[in-house]
Amino acid sequence: MEDTIAIKARNISKTFHISEDSHNTVKHRLFNLFNPPRKKDVEAVKMMNFEINKGECVGLIGRNGCGKSTLVRLLAGVYPTDTGFVNINGTTLLMNLGVGMSHELTARENIYVSASVLGMKIKDVDAIFDRIVGFAELEGFIDTKIKFFSSGMVARLGFSIAVNAGASIMFLDEIFAVGDMKFQEKAIKVFESSWIEGKTVILVSHSMDVIKKYCSRAGYMKHGELIYLGETEKAIQMYLKDNQ
Amino acid sequence: MIRNVLKDWKSRSNKYERLWLLAKIEFKLRYYENKLGLLWALLKPLMDIAIYYVAFKVILKTDIPAFASYLFIGLVFWIFFVESTTGTIQILNTKKYLYEYSNMNKLEIYISTLFSNSIGFLFNLSMFFLFYHLFEPQANPISYNNLWVLVLFMNLFILSLGCSLILSNLYIIAKDINQIWMVFISFLFFLSPIFYKLTSFKEALPELVYGNPIAGVIINARRVMMDGIAPDFELLAFDFGYAIFLLLVGIILLNKLGAKAAEKL
Repeated sequence: MEDTIAIKARNISKTFHISEDSHNTVKHRLFNLFNPPRKKDVEAVKMMNFEINKGECVGLIGRNGCGKSTLVRLLAGVYPTDTGFVNINGTTLLMNLGVGMSHELTARENIYVSASVLGMKIKDVDAIFDRIVGFAELEGFIDTKIKFFSSGMVARLGFSIAVNAGASIMFLDEIFAVGDMKFQEKAIKVFESSWIEGKTVILVSHSMDVIKKYCSRAGYMKHGELIYLGETEKAIQMYLKDNQ
Repeated sequence: MIRNVLKDWKSRSNKYERLWLLAKIEFKLRYYENKLGLLWALLKPLMDIAIYYVAFKVILKTDIPAFASYLFIGLVFWIFFVESTTGTIQILNTKKYLYEYSNMNKLEIYISTLFSNSIGFLFNLSMFFLFYHLFEPQANPISYNNLWVLVLFMNLFILSLGCSLILSNLYIIAKDINQIWMVFISFLFFLSPIFYKLTSFKEALPELVYGNPIAGVIINARRVMMDGIAPDFELLAFDFGYAIFLLLVGIILLNKLGAKAAEKL
């Protein structure tokens, strides 16, 4: 793969098979051998091809249920694709209301585990540890298990880890909905500073202001299809037209 | 292979560091976050030894020499196998937070959990070693052949990893695999030479010396750790074959079923 390309998607698609009754035990399967479950197919992402360059910030817009989140998960390598392939050049981080954290671990352990999963060395995590805690405003709760945290505290911690550790390719799914107003302002400030410089970002948002401000390109999705990928302005217009 | 390892090391990958970090945290979680954690790990085999000792030595009057040590080494290996298989059936569910938000390789999750179990295993093995050489009156002297235990452990590790991969990936499509495995493993326990005399086991169930993948490991562990002789190489090769075969099946299942874990669980 060429070095300038961060994500290359070829002929990818995804269909979910949703069955009405759960046949997920051996017992169930045996007793219902001649009574197969009724399945409903949902085409979440229809055949699409595209490339995203390194360092680009691409917006993704569309109405609820149009397949944005599924597409993001396919690209991040969390879901396997049904057809085609996705080539990813770097570490990925998918973020929607926080990154993956275990409620059984303390804030300190979660920071180390998450940052390590994102490809950082322990030494480097030591160096940014205080910054992560400071940004999340969680001094005094470092060694508390996060199951005792309020949902806002968990979300702030997740956001702070993502901001400070980061990955080379980041999928941000509605991240500005985290925390109270003061924290949101802080989050936006971070976004405006040099955080995303040099990183590849795929930004999912319903806020057209955010998309307009940060994205050099935008994709517009409808019913699982990528209708348009190109100029931000044009994608937004198509989306607004659809909403009327 | 070696080239890849060197390349990894050169590129300063944090993979090994991460495996160790996850293993340490797993170990801490397992043993109640207690400073006495390792003692809890030891308590399980000690309790089991006490039970079987009373049943077989005191009541049934078995004539196996050094019976406490005989049980001890068998149980140390058996407990690792049980903890690494039964204990990991739901691993893709409990460790979902690790792969749900990034493209981390799921195999790392398994290996780190087994590393965590290995800490307990190595501690228990050293306890066995001390017990055998300090308190067992009929003990054989320390021998170079004791080192074979590392090879046997590698065998056990691969076997457990394979079984763990198979079970936890089947769990995605069959949630009651847990109950089925529980029955199977208690069956396997009584078909393994853990508290039986080896000669009577071989006489009664000669097929199972080769048919049961864990039996050979336990038989060989006693040869190298207690008798101070080299392992039965034919049996060793056979058991390695088993372990590698199950590992391959496990990896295929991980790629087929495990890839869908994020959406199915």
